[in-house]
Amino acid sequence: MTTSPTSSAPLSAPLLDIRGLSKDYGSIRVVNDIHISVSAGTIHALLGENGAGKSTLIKMVAGVIPPDAGHLEIDGQRQQPKNVADAQALGIVALPQELTLVPGLGAAENIYLGQRQPGSLGVINHRRLERNAREQMIRLGQSIPMNTPVGELSAVQQTMVALARALARNARVLVLDEPTAALTDTETEQLFDVLRGLRAAGTSIIYVSHRLEEVFRLADAATVMRNGSLVWTKPINETTTNDVVAAMIGRSQGEIFPPRSKDEGIEVLRVTDLTGYRLRGVSIAARSGRVLGIAGLAGAGRSELLKIIAGAQKAVDGEVRIDGKVIRGNSVKRAMVAGVALVPEERRSQGLIMKESIQGNIALANLPRVSRFGVASRRRERAMATRKVAELQIKAASVRQPVEELSGGNQQKVVLAKYLEQKPRVLLLDEPTRGIDIGTKAEIYTLVRGLASQGVAVIVVSSEIPELLGIADEIAVLHQGTLTGVVPAAETDEQSILHYCYGKSN
Amino acid sequence: MSQSTKMPSPTVAASTPTELVTSSTVKSVLPQRLASLGTLLGLVAMVVLFGVLRPQIFLTGLNFSNILEQVAILAMIATVQTVVMVVGDFDLSVGSLASLVGVMVAQLLVAGFDPIVATAFGLGAGLLAGAVNGYLVAYLGLSAFIATLATMTAFTGLALLFSNGATVFGLPDSFIWLGQGRIGPVPVPIIVAVILVLVVWFVLSKTVIGRKWYAIGGNAEAAKLSGVNTKAVRFSAFLVSGFGAALAGIILTARLASGHPTAGDPMMLTSIAAVFLGITLSRAGSPTIGGTAVGIGILGVLSNGLNILQVNSYVQQVLTGVIIILAVSLSRLSKKTR
Repeated sequence: MTTSPTSSAPLSAPLLDIRGLSKDYGSIRVVNDIHISVSAGTIHALLGENGAGKSTLIKMVAGVIPPDAGHLEIDGQRQQPKNVADAQALGIVALPQELTLVPGLGAAENIYLGQRQPGSLGVINHRRLERNAREQMIRLGQSIPMNTPVGELSAVQQTMVALARALARNARVLVLDEPTAALTDTETEQLFDVLRGLRAAGTSIIYVSHRLEEVFRLADAATVMRNGSLVWTKPINETTTNDVVAAMIGRSQGEIFPPRSKDEGIEVLRVTDLTGYRLRGVSIAARSGRVLGIAGLAGAGRSELLKIIAGAQKAVDGEVRIDGKVIRGNSVKRAMVAGVALVPEERRSQGLIMKESIQGNIALANLPRVSRFGVASRRRERAMATRKVAELQIKAASVRQPVEELSGGNQQKVVLAKYLEQKPRVLLLDEPTRGIDIGTKAEIYTLVRGLASQGVAVIVVSSEIPELLGIADEIAVLHQGTLTGVVPAAETDEQSILHYCYGKSN
Repeated sequence: MSQSTKMPSPTVAASTPTELVTSSTVKSVLPQRLASLGTLLGLVAMVVLFGVLRPQIFLTGLNFSNILEQVAILAMIATVQTVVMVVGDFDLSVGSLASLVGVMVAQLLVAGFDPIVATAFGLGAGLLAGAVNGYLVAYLGLSAFIATLATMTAFTGLALLFSNGATVFGLPDSFIWLGQGRIGPVPVPIIVAVILVLVVWFVLSKTVIGRKWYAIGGNAEAAKLSGVNTKAVRFSAFLVSGFGAALAGIILTARLASGHPTAGDPMMLTSIAAVFLGITLSRAGSPTIGGTAVGIGILGVLSNGLNILQVNSYVQQVLTGVIIILAVSLSRLSKKTR
């Protein structure tokens, strides 16, 4: 249960005070000294781009991960939840974007999952469970079937079950991460009514969303984060959409980007009407010597586009041509032979065999070059790896070192080395600088520009729009699987790209 | 730091969970190397122990040749099981497939077919069975556990059908030579096993397909995105295990001079145990032929030594189980240290 509030606390005092929370991952500070006050009975929006540190911050608030510095104050009392159960005992309950319900159990069982029922001696009294669960739903002003497995309920009903579960744990602060992502417009309205009701009853809500329009309809205050730091906190009626977007973007990243190409190049890759998982009728082209950036929100189909081009995913319709020749899809090998290389998004799960050596990882994507009549030569593998380590300045004890022992930046360079050794004509890079330090980022930018100047057609997918503005010659924007715009990087800014990202094609 | 980290010994397994946690945080190299060699030291210790207890019987050339002959057929199955486990799957049907092929070949021989024809037919049937397993796992995407559990059951049924549940006798001497004959002083099964082990060792460690097998076991998604045709390569691993199981079944039938519908069955679990024992020797935690050979050595020496000591065969089973648990938990401990 919650600690008893100091009786002298005035009504306007904040219910939850976030005091200087910070978090480092390795040498990177992902959340930096955040201070936020959340008053009782308010909805507080938390805004920022992908990678701004919002998720890490709410994980610390909810007790999922421990902060490296800072603490919470609840009703003016200093607290630091050590784990999720701790946070819940303090009245803080977080609903992750992917709700953690047990699909095979009914609503009542889910609401009371993991909570001891008094006097039950380990036997579940279904009638009482249901009665209690119904009471929680009445507090939400909702009625849903109690015995249907929640996996068969609608998305909004599942959200209601999750909310009821939070209430059953005496939640005073609810943390909601993109709660409307899976909801229809009507369902969103239904959820908003419930949230407004909870607010009126004194519950505080921290509301994380990319949908600014929702935030302006629902929230009382907003906090914007950028690069792990707090930009500002304002009452919602003292700010505007443009104000928020400007705060999210901040200023340009500076001069870590090499100069752009003046070469017009020739068209190497042409993709026509590509349709597949998350992708609907996308047509783009890439030219030798140039870098094409691809922007879009999470789930817009960016990685899927690259995967289809690289033969790692099926296309339902459309075609991919290299030098005018159609590449039959769904075979990585065929795409590679045609000169396409994809540096995948997740270096640990898609790019590398973590226990394998640098040498083994690089050789894996280049087996024909190190073998004769099906027999692989360790000597050639080592020579290839040694050359690549020198070229890309990979810091390692030896080429025999397992890649799991390398830093994130050096691991990423090994992934690049695998694919660069194939001497691709079309290089696809999916989030090539995610989670690596700024120094290595700059090296990778220089490398990418260098490859382009040697005549490679490069496509870069990135969630960081400033990065695309810096590295790309043109930027194509995807929104829910369709292309909403292709613009020269030099003639655009982050705000216009964001507009395309949200589906507005000018 | 607890004493147990420095010198792996049975006492580690007896220590409390807290001590295990403490020892797993120790970061020094020597104990790790020792722990990862623990299984090999275990084999040496066993040889020394039996040698001291029964020197005049155990420590003879004849006895070691006996051990080799006893494990030769298991070695064939464990060798091909290693390939499937390198890919990250396992094949539960190897034992019953060996039985099935043995019975089929025996029936063909009794029906008067030439031994060469019968043997070739048996090997072909093994490849076909491997192809079925491979198709189910690689192309239909069934888990190897379910797919090979099902085929194991089906193969056992077929073996009983083809033999009417009885032992098939009356095999020609030219065929029995495969199991009981010698080339010079060396029994034929040992020669066949050694050739198979060497070939698979070469393929696993030196060839492109070997690299691909290990890559799929290490990270199938990364392998696919590196241009490896993961389905075809996974399929080929099951072809190898089908072939190896058939070969073992044929030699076993020749050794027994009869086809028995469940003769090969126990070798499935033992082969997996041998590979797991071998994995404990690998730094990367993946199966190797050398490791599997040590695993087979441990199981062979243990069974032979306990027989010489006239230990009850039920007790032998218990001891075998305990030793597998010890070896695998020791190596898990050393993995955590890294």
